[in-house]
Order: sequence, then C-alpha cells, then structure tokens
Amino acid sequence: MFKEIFLFELKSWFKRPVIYLYFMLYLVGAFLLICAATGAFTGNTQDTNSYMNSASSIAGILNAFNSDFFLGLITTIICVSIMGSCVQKDYQYNIHSLFYSKPITKSSYLIGRFSASFLLSLFALSAIVFGLILGFAIAPNDNGQIGPFSILNYLVPFLTFTVINVFFIGVTFFSLVTYTRNLTTGYVSALVFIVISGIATSMTSDIENETLSAIIDPFGNQALSALTEYWTPSEQNERMVPLQSYVLYNRLVWLGISLLIGFVTYRNFQFSQFLNPVGLKKKKSQEEVKGMKHIQFLFQLPKAKQYFNFKTSIQQLVFLTRFEIKKIVRSVFFMVVIGIAILLMITTHNYQGLIYGTETYPVTYQMLDLGAVLSQFFLIILIIFYSGIVVWRERDNKCDELIYSTPVQTWVLFTSKFLSLVGLVGAVYGAAIITSIALQTYEGYYNYELGLYIFEYYGKRIFSAIVLCAMAAMVQVLVNNKFIGFTLTTLLTFGLQIIYNTTDINNRLIIFNSSGNVLPYSDMNGYGHTLYVFYMYKAYWIGFMMVLVALAMPMWPRLKEKSYKARVKYASKQFQRSYAFMMIIGLAMFLGFGSFIYYNTRILNEYKTNKEQEKEQVDFEKKYKTCLKDLQPRIVSSTVEVDIFPNEQGAKVKGFYYLKNKHKQPISKIYIGMFEPKDIKELKLQTQHSKIIDDAAFGFFGYKLIKPMLPGDSVRLDFTLEHFSHGFSEDGSSTDIVENGTFFNSNALPYIGYNDNMEIADNSTRKKYNLAPKPRMASIDDTTAYGNTYISKDADWIRFEATVSTIPSQIAIAPGYLEKEWESNGRKYFKYKMDRPILNFYSFLSAEYSVLKDKWINPKDPANVVNIEIYYHKNHTYNLDRMVNSTKRSLNYYTAQFSPYQHKQVRIIEFPRYASFAQSFPNTIPYSESIGFIAKVDADDPESIDFPFYVTAHEIGHQWWAHQIIGADVQGSTLMSETMSQYSALMVMEKEYGKPAMKKFLKYEMDDYLTGRAQENRKEVPLMMVENQQYIHYNKGSMIMYSLKDYIGEDSLNSAIRRYLKEKAFQEPPYTTARDFYGQIKRSTPDSLKETLSDLFERIVVFDNKVRSVTVLKTNNQYKVTLLINTGKTKSDSLGKAKDVIVNDWIDIGVFAKNVKNKDQLGKELIFKKYKIVGKEQKLEFTLDEEPYMVGIDPYNKLIDMDPDDNLKTCPKSY
Amino acid sequence: MLLKIQNLTKTYPNGKKALSNVNLDIPNGIFGLLGPNGAGKSSLMRTIAALQESDEGTIFLDDLNVLKQKDEVRKILGYLPQDFGFYPRVTAQDMLNHFAVLKGISNKSERKEVCDALLHQTNLYEVRDKYIGDYSGGMRQRFGIAQALLGNPRIVIVDEPTAGLDPQERNRFHNLLSEIGENVVVILSTHIVDDVKNLCNEMAIMNFGEVLYHGKTNEALNVLNGKVWQAQIAKEEVEDYRNRFKIISSKVSGGKICINTVADTQPDKAFTSVSPDLEDVYFYYINNQQK
Repeated sequence: MFKEIFLFELKSWFKRPVIYLYFMLYLVGAFLLICAATGAFTGNTQDTNSYMNSASSIAGILNAFNSDFFLGLITTIICVSIMGSCVQKDYQYNIHSLFYSKPITKSSYLIGRFSASFLLSLFALSAIVFGLILGFAIAPNDNGQIGPFSILNYLVPFLTFTVINVFFIGVTFFSLVTYTRNLTTGYVSALVFIVISGIATSMTSDIENETLSAIIDPFGNQALSALTEYWTPSEQNERMVPLQSYVLYNRLVWLGISLLIGFVTYRNFQFSQFLNPVGLKKKKSQEEVKGMKHIQFLFQLPKAKQYFNFKTSIQQLVFLTRFEIKKIVRSVFFMVVIGIAILLMITTHNYQGLIYGTETYPVTYQMLDLGAVLSQFFLIILIIFYSGIVVWRERDNKCDELIYSTPVQTWVLFTSKFLSLVGLVGAVYGAAIITSIALQTYEGYYNYELGLYIFEYYGKRIFSAIVLCAMAAMVQVLVNNKFIGFTLTTLLTFGLQIIYNTTDINNRLIIFNSSGNVLPYSDMNGYGHTLYVFYMYKAYWIGFMMVLVALAMPMWPRLKEKSYKARVKYASKQFQRSYAFMMIIGLAMFLGFGSFIYYNTRILNEYKTNKEQEKEQVDFEKKYKTCLKDLQPRIVSSTVEVDIFPNEQGAKVKGFYYLKNKHKQPISKIYIGMFEPKDIKELKLQTQHSKIIDDAAFGFFGYKLIKPMLPGDSVRLDFTLEHFSHGFSEDGSSTDIVENGTFFNSNALPYIGYNDNMEIADNSTRKKYNLAPKPRMASIDDTTAYGNTYISKDADWIRFEATVSTIPSQIAIAPGYLEKEWESNGRKYFKYKMDRPILNFYSFLSAEYSVLKDKWINPKDPANVVNIEIYYHKNHTYNLDRMVNSTKRSLNYYTAQFSPYQHKQVRIIEFPRYASFAQSFPNTIPYSESIGFIAKVDADDPESIDFPFYVTAHEIGHQWWAHQIIGADVQGSTLMSETMSQYSALMVMEKEYGKPAMKKFLKYEMDDYLTGRAQENRKEVPLMMVENQQYIHYNKGSMIMYSLKDYIGEDSLNSAIRRYLKEKAFQEPPYTTARDFYGQIKRSTPDSLKETLSDLFERIVVFDNKVRSVTVLKTNNQYKVTLLINTGKTKSDSLGKAKDVIVNDWIDIGVFAKNVKNKDQLGKELIFKKYKIVGKEQKLEFTLDEEPYMVGIDPYNKLIDMDPDDNLKTCPKSY
Repeated sequence: MLLKIQNLTKTYPNGKKALSNVNLDIPNGIFGLLGPNGAGKSSLMRTIAALQESDEGTIFLDDLNVLKQKDEVRKILGYLPQDFGFYPRVTAQDMLNHFAVLKGISNKSERKEVCDALLHQTNLYEVRDKYIGDYSGGMRQRFGIAQALLGNPRIVIVDEPTAGLDPQERNRFHNLLSEIGENVVVILSTHIVDDVKNLCNEMAIMNFGEVLYHGKTNEALNVLNGKVWQAQIAKEEVEDYRNRFKIISSKVSGGKICINTVADTQPDKAFTSVSPDLEDVYFYYINNQQK
C-alpha cells in the first residue's frame, strides 16, 4: 500500500504544471542570482581571491534559500504548498472519510505521503543547484572569481544543508498541518524558524555566543559561518565543507528534533483525528425546538428606512473597515506573527549597537531602527497575507453572493479592505512603539520621545505601508488566485528590489515604493533637510497606486464570472466618472511628482551610473597622468575664510595657499585640481602665467608660468569656492553641510598636481580599460614614493589659519586656537590660528553645541597645561566623564612614555550619525554621535570594554601617531599611525582597567583579524607591509604590539618608540617608513627573540595551540599537575595558503586557582611563565602548594590562534 | 408588478449553455421554478440578482432594466442563494446587523428593531447570540431568509432553500415563505415538486437552460389530463417496458415497480389511467426534452 500511495502522490504532482513552475522558479532564480553576483548584467567586477563556486560559498548560497528573509519566505510558501497541502487536500476536498475508511495502514499512509512530498520538495529545490551551475558556466571570469567546476562542491552542501533543512521543515509542516488541518500553522512554524535563524545571526555580534548561535540556527547557517569564518581565501577555494564540529552538531541536533517530531506525529496519528482537528472549535449548538410562535405577516414588520446616498456609503465603509480590522486583529496568525516580531525586537535589541560587546543607550533613533526590522519583514508578510484574506473573505466564507447582492457600492467594498490593511499596519506600529518604550524603560532610559515615535510611524512610515497595502489589495483583486497573488506581491516587494540592486538600475522612479535619498534620523540633526524628499517620492507612488486602484476597483469580483474577458467587460461598464476622476488625480500626481523628482535628480543634480563614473576616472587618468612628471610646488600655508550656511546646506570659502618650490630645479608648470569641480568660483595664481589646461568638467587646470619658480620661491594661490546643495539627488546625498552638525574637511579645497587617488584601484577593472595594473600601495622600498606622506601628496607641514562663520545659534570650529570671536551681519565668526606647522589635513565643523571644559596638568610639569573641551549635543552627556578621563590618562601616558604633546588643547566634537567614526585632526577630534556618545558601559563588569575611553585614547594617540610621525606613501606606513594608536590606547586601557579587560578586547581583535583576512580580495601582507588594510593595522596590529610588549617588556618597547620619535617626528621628506620603526624595535629586542620578532612583523604566522589533557595528583598537601599540550604553527603566503612550520617559541603557560567570584574567569596565577615550546607536543609538570583549577597555554590569547577557546582546560576534580 | 424576462441567453466560457432563449413573465406572489440540478435555475436567478451577466436578452421589473441598472436592482432585492455560508465566529445578531448596514438601513435603532423582529419572525431570537457557524441546516436557511427580507425587498429570490432539510424544517420554511406577502415577486427555485405544489400559483419547468413549461400550477395538470398511464410490473420487466414505452418515471412500491407513461390512448393492458399530478408533468417535460 505504501508504494501505491507514494506513487499516486508523485504521479498526481508530476501531472500538474505547478511542480515544474516551482522548479523553474528556483532554476531561474539561482541562475539570475549568480549572473547578478558575478556582474554578468552590469559588467562590473571586483578584485577577488576567493572562488564564488567553492564549496563553502555554494553552501552559503544554498542556505540563503532557507534562511534569507526573502528567499526563505519563497521556499516556505513552496514547501508548505507541497508538504502541507498533501495532507490538507484530503480534508479540503472531503475525500478524507473515503480515504480513511479504506484498508490503509497508518504507516503506509503517513510515510507514503510524507516521503513523496519530501522528494517533491527536494526535486523543486534541486533546481537551485542546476541554476547555480548554469550561472557559473556563463559568468564572466576576468578577475578569476570562478574556480574549476567540481560537482562535489554542489552535492555535499546540498546533502548537508538543503536536504536536512527540507526534511526538518517538512516534518514540522506535515505534523502541524496533520494535527490542525490548517495551513496557517505551517506558515507560522516556518516564520518561527526564519526568525530563530535571524536571532542566531544577530547573537553573533557578541562573540561569546558563537557556539550557541551555531547550534540553535535551524538551517545551519551560523554553524557554517562559525566553521568557515576564519578560512583564508585559499582554504575557501580548496576545502570541502566538512561535516564536523559546529556543522556536525547543528545538523545532528536538528535532524534529531525532526525525527522526534516525526515520531510523535506517527505515534499519535489516528485516522479519525481528521474529523476532529485539534483546535478551539465549539460543539454545534442544538436548537431547542419549541413550538412556532404565531406568525406575523411580514408587512407588519417594523419599517426601516433605507438610504443609498454618499453618507450611507461612508457609514458602511467605517462599519466594514472596523469589521475587517477586528477580524484580522483577532486572528491567530496575526497574534502569532506580532508575538514573534516583538520577540525578535527584544532579542535583536540585546545585540543591537554592540561595539566590542559594549552596549549603547537605547536612544529613540536606535529603537526606530529596531522597529524597522518589523516593518521591513513582518509587516510586509502581514500585509501580503492579509491582503489575500480580506479580499477573499466573502468568497472563502461562501457569503459572496449574499454580500455582493446587497446595495453596497463596490468602491466601499474595496476601500474597506484597503483601509483594514492600513489599520493592520497601524496596529503593528502601535505594538512596535509599545515594545520600544518598554525596552527603554527596562534599560532605565526614560527620555521617551513619544512625539518622535508617533511622527516616524504614523507620519512617515505609514505612507510606505499605504502604497504597499494598495498594491497588495489591488493584486489580489486583479489576480483571481490567492496564491498567485501572494507570490506576485512578494516578488514585487522583495524581488524587484533585488533585481534593481543587482543590475545597476539606480533610478528610484522605477524602484517600486522607493523612499528617496533620505538621511536617517539623528539626535543631533533630527530629520534634517531631506525629510520633504520622502514625501515627494511617496506622493509619486501614491499617485501611481491611485491610477492602478481606479482601474482595479471596477474589476472587483462582484459577479460570479471568473473569465477575464467577462470581468473586463463588466469592469468597463462599471467604470464611472469618479474612477476616472481618481485616475486623473493619480496620474497628475504620478507625472507631477515624477517630473519634480526627475528634475531634481537628473537635471538640478548630475547623476552618473557606476559605469559612467568608471569611464570618467579612466579618462582622467589617461588624459592627465603625464602631468606627474612635472615637479610641483608644495603647499606651505593655508589661510581660509569659511562661511557656513547650515540652513541652506551651503558654504562659501575664500582663501589662499602659499605654494613653495622645495625642489632643486625650477618649476614652470603648476596643476591645480578640485574634487568637486562645480564648486570653483575663482582660482587665481598670483604670478604671470598662461593656461595650458582648462578642464572645468574634471576640475583640473594647468598653468605655464611665464617666469619659472626658482628653488625656494613661493607663489600665492587665491581661491574662491562656493557650494550650495540644490534640491535633492539620486544618491550620495552629501552630509557635509546639514542644519545641525556640519563636518567637512580639507578635501573640499583645491589640491596641487595630479592626484592618483582619482584612479581606479581595482585591477580587474583596470584590465578592462587597458590600464596597467596598479599596486594597492607603493612598495616599502620604493624610495621615489618617500617624498609624500600617505595622506597628502601636495604638502608637508603647513601654517594654518581659518576664520569660520556660521549662524548665531551654532559654534563653528576648525583646528587651531580661538583668537577672536565676534558677531556681525547676524552671523557669528570664529578666528582660529595654529601656532605651529601641521599636516595639510584639517576640518570645519558647525553645530549647536554644549561645551564641557576641563584641564590636564602634566603631573611632571605643572606649567604644562592642556585645555580639554568637549563639544556635544545637549542630551548626549552619558560618557563625557569617560572621555575627559581618557584624555587625561592618555596625555599622562603618552607624554611620559613617548614625547611631549605638541598642542595646548584637545577638542572632541560630536557630529551626526551619518558616519560612525572618530577622526583625529590637529588638536581637534570630530567624533560621531553613534559610537562613543551613547555607549553604555557596564561599570560593574570588569570585562566590559569602556568603548568611549578606548576610542578617545586611540584618537589622542593619533596626535602622536600621524601628527608627529607620519609615514611615507608606501606599504607599512599605517603601522606607525593606526597600529601605534591602537597600542597607545591599549596601554592606557590596561593601566586604567587591568589585564582582564584586555583579554576580551584582544579576543575581538583576533576575531576581527581572522575574519578580515578571510575576506581579503587582493593579498594579505605581514604587518610591516600593511597596505591600509584595517584588519591588519587595527586588529592584527593590536595583537602583535601587545605580544611584543609582553616579550620584550613595556619599558624597552617604549624606549625604542621614544628613540624613533626623537629621530623622525615632524620630519621633512623623505618620510619615514616601517623599516625605520622596525629597526628601533629590533635594537631593543634580545637575540633570543629575533625570530619571534620576524614572525610578528615580517611574516603571517598563525598558531593553533591547545591543552590536550591535564591530570592532577594530590600528595602530602601538594598538587602535581601534568599537562599535555599540542602546538601548531603555520606560515601563510599572501593568499592565505598555509604551510606548517615547526614550533620553536616562547609561549605562556599558566596554572590558575579558582576564581571565587566567577568561575569562568581566570583566578590567581599559581604558575605563569613563558616556556620554550618545541615541536607538536609537549608534556609539562608542576608541583604546587595550592589547588589548581584551570591550566592553559597562552591563556591570555596573546598569540594569534585559530581556535583561542581550547587554550584553557579545567582540571579534573577527582585525583 | 411584473418581472419580464425576454430572450435571455447565457453561454459559459467552457461552452456550456446555461440559459437558452428564456422568456418568462413573473407576477407578484410566489413563482416556482422547477427543474433538476443543472437546469439553469441558479443561472437565471443570479442573473436576476445582478450577480451574473447574460449574453442576450432583457429583464425588466416593471420599468427597471434589471441587467443594466444593477445598483437599482440591489436596492429592492432579497436574495438567498443555493450555496452560502457566513463569517466564522459571528453571531446571528451581528451578522444580521451587518447585512442591515449593507442594505442601507442607516438608523441604528431602526436597524435594531427590524433585525430583532426578523429574528423573532424566523424563530431565531432565542439563539441570536450563537455563532451562525454552529447553526443547524434549518436554522441557517431561516437566517438566510431573514437577511433576504431586510429592507422590504420588492423581489425575493430563494434558490433551492429546502434541499437537505427535514420535513419539519421544510414545513417551517414554507410557512415563512408564504408570509412574504402578495405585493412582492418571490421566485422559488427547487427540484422538489411538492414545494411548488404547496406554495406556488405560477410556475415554470426548466431543463438544460430552456423553459419547458410556464403557466399556472393547477393548469399544468390540464396538459396531461387523461394521458397518464400507470402499470405495476416486476423488476425484471423494467428493461423490456423501457424499450417499448416512453417511461417518464418509475418508483418502487410494495416490492413492485410502478411505472408511469404518457400516451393519448392506453398503451398496453398492463397500464391503467391515473389522474396526473405535478410530478408527472415535471417528468413529462424533463424526459420529453431528452431526445
């Protein structure tokens, strides 16, 4: 019987077109995905080291079809429709009683049905594999992004992930639908899984959760990334996805859960159950038949007047809308989805805004971002789902003939459905607001901005939702099949977006329901000047929807006719003047606002596609690169007057440079360029010249001097610039000048000579345009590049003076010391002057600031006083003390250990969250509101990282490391700026917070380094050769400097640093390189550690150390500890191809007592010493007086270790 | 008042002819529309109820063009379709109120009054707080008629209302229908001959979309006066008789088969003349059509 049922099921599906439709959907979907990802549509490619068709990459793609919000949703709908309806249809078509009364055994029925539908689902999903293979076969491969074909790369991930995932979701759907006979439960369970998967992803922002998140992700996505995240490009390319560690456990857990669910279903299933589904249904009421009352004649019935006017229609509309909303809000699906969404908000919130594991305050804008999770996914699902429910409600309940034969207007019917969807949205928003406020309260944040919540949700987001509701309802009316309607709306909302994103179509006028290029809400700047843009786009889309709805409303299925022809015929008769009126208004809005948007984004503001930009860069390089051969004068002074107009988003700059010939030859040609060509009003070189290049489009100008500049000669360059934003643009809305929080830097001013930063950096793209490949940075030994620093190509040290003006309510700031402050013509002026030369790198800021002032007095020299000023947004007072404290500690340490501070002030200046970094200009540190100002440091947790303290220390470190020492424009130079700032900050942090805080910080650094190198798209280099790679100069740099300090000691390291500073600080070109720095370090390193030093700086070395076993023997109150350690060490080439090398290093070995406060943290050090470890395995023995609790090799994770978690082992209890 | 149907024709997209040149004059009072399943009764009723379009023909209710002025028709229509349901988890009272709103009874107290009266009338007042989904078949039908009578309709259409009801419920339903009154056009479609016999002055017989008979119910019998012949035969003989005579109906009676045929003269000595009843008329027309 099993066979019959199984084959019957298969046959009946294969006879229907729908299974082939699913197959094609996946095939085409996967194919397009690959085409898009490989740049087959756009022709854009990027340099890469990793094959896109490696096993781990394919596993990731296959997984996305289960866990991605959009793709996972599609898979869910399809799997529910196959698996769920297998059971459901027996009931739906009333054949269940027939079926169950036949001699079919439970096992043959259940297993037959399930295995058939499982196979069918796999069949549909297998199309992904074929789609991928096809996609990779035709994808462009100029940049070597596609490796050799291997069927195993597809097969193994398919078996490991897809098959088990489908089995798991299949069993769950099948069981739930079998019990409840309701497809909705299937959808709900699928949602739950996608959400769990999402939660697992968000949990990983705290690295302590990696194992947990790897296990609880039902689709194995996190397990996969936990397993492969440290794989270097070469490992990714060559390794199969092994069924081991996280992946193995995860798969076993979820396979086990599925089998358990399956078993329980099987055990409890009874055929009779189908007639009595589990549910809350009440029994039928039996009417107590009484004798009939005396029958009245009907004309004796009370008379009720009927009205058929507009007022009645409105009354009916209100009535029906309320009815629908009540129905929706009380339905199980709604409650479950809202419940899940709230749960997701709460869980996501736990991990939101974590920086190095440190929380941030739940300010309202963070809560609004959090709520966006809800509106981007759950709300869309609810709208799509309920659009089907409400539009089909009469037909589904078979009362369509009753309702549609009443004298209610068709538009009332449609509008009530639409409005009920909007009401649904309103309810969801309400839930989001309540949850947000509850979360804020829970965290002790009481600055409730209710008005802001209400405006954001009901004054802004609702408009996007309205467009979507109208679209969903309209589709359901037009398409006479609920499921096709679901799929169509899903594709329209999620799918179109993906297509647009991947095809370089970058015109919001054709991206459905686009919202314009709008700034996010910031505490400092509010919604800023772009708020109206949002409404322009929404008006445009509402107009669009009005046209469609006016066409769709007469199509309302009021008649029983199903054929399109009949419906269209009827609709055309129904098309009244009011519909036409609505259409005309809609069309007017659509065209009117559309034109307005087009005028702004295409005419007022220039728009270039990526391709066009690329071409421009190529043209610029080809045209002007030859200018490089002409020696250029250097900027030696900059004097500017900057007038900032925050409310007009504009600035006027008037200023002059002095350019000096620092070469030994005369200069006869000068080139001047501007990154923003349009801003130039006037450039005036104050010497007699003729123009040889006048390229306003590129903003590049060449002058031939009548009288060449002799060595040592100077010339003045005057410039007048003006920048005002006009309307709004398609992309790249500049956040430089905003109403409150202006921040821009010296890149807005003219530069001298040809600037190769404009060139295309990507070598595969360069190849396309026949440009020679370009190294990411010049070689460390390329002495020709020593003439420039890595941040400026046209200046060394300059004199600087600026007068900045702004509106009276704001303070304007530039580097230097405030000399004068005055008001005139209703504007406020600030004159700043630098008392000593600085790098050609300065910034201008303006906002309404509160100011905190403090002083640092040098403990060793009370005469040495530095003013500390923090310019902050009035509400952001949380961490000001930490910043001040950090500033003082930093100045203490750096002045004592490195060299004197060259300035007399430190200013920290907050700017809006449009960017999230802090940046160090001379004595001036702009600092984003999103990173330190709202951090919430847990003072009670010794491991909690004081993030604002760290960032401040790092930025102040830059006053030495960049502003005293600046490396040449070659490899390795960021070692002396970023890495050294990290080291400086680490030392200040260690002094303030002790070693335990270091361990956690370094763990993040190691994690970031190992994941960073896995994504390297060109080549990994040793620290000394770093090419501005963040994962090297920040993350690896921290690790290495901390190790180095540990090996040679803080004092000798700092004395090497002092020597280096003394020799190279404030030097003129040729500039210093990492070789100079390394030379000083070497001098301070004993010979025994020279090899180690090479490992740290000159090689890419990764350890894999662990404690294999530990035994403890207790004799006469003494403890004999024996531990067996395994060590491994690899040296990698630039692609991450690792080679084992023999360990021969000094490594920390530690034995610790129990930490009474927290047993997971290390206790007192009973033994802590470096041991020379040679070879793969070593046995160590100690005899102790105290009871040991934990042993470890490299217990503080000072070495870069592939698996830092197995370095410690707890001692066995029994001896 | 007169409902005048002329040349009404409707063909479904799949080629099935639902209505073929239907001509009917329907006056006030209960009009019976008799025919087997699939005869086109429901199509005809939906067309009158503005739920379906026709290909050709006209329907007028006095001056009202039913096919064109659908909105106007809905205002004076009470309709109880053959197959219907209600929203789940809604009480009878709320549901009736829902319909009353849709029928344009704007005044809240009037609405309440008329709904309560109708619930009383249909004997559902006691159970008005129960979900309709939990009602028995008879209660549902009575509720159906209650909603159809909301707002003083001038034309009431009830499609197969008594199918599946037990005799007692059917009786109750008939009583309800008969109360609707003289000044309203009531069209009752059914395949149960007794319904028409009991309730309707005028009737029509339909099959395959065609009107086979149209006239007064009692006059219908005149057509077959003296022409109906009945014979009691054994089971084995049925086949033989079917081949020899045009049997319009057969039923089992006391172990024997009782067959009726229509002929001007006695067809065989086994047959005796019987007085025709409506069922004979019905079967006569239905069978005559099936060529």
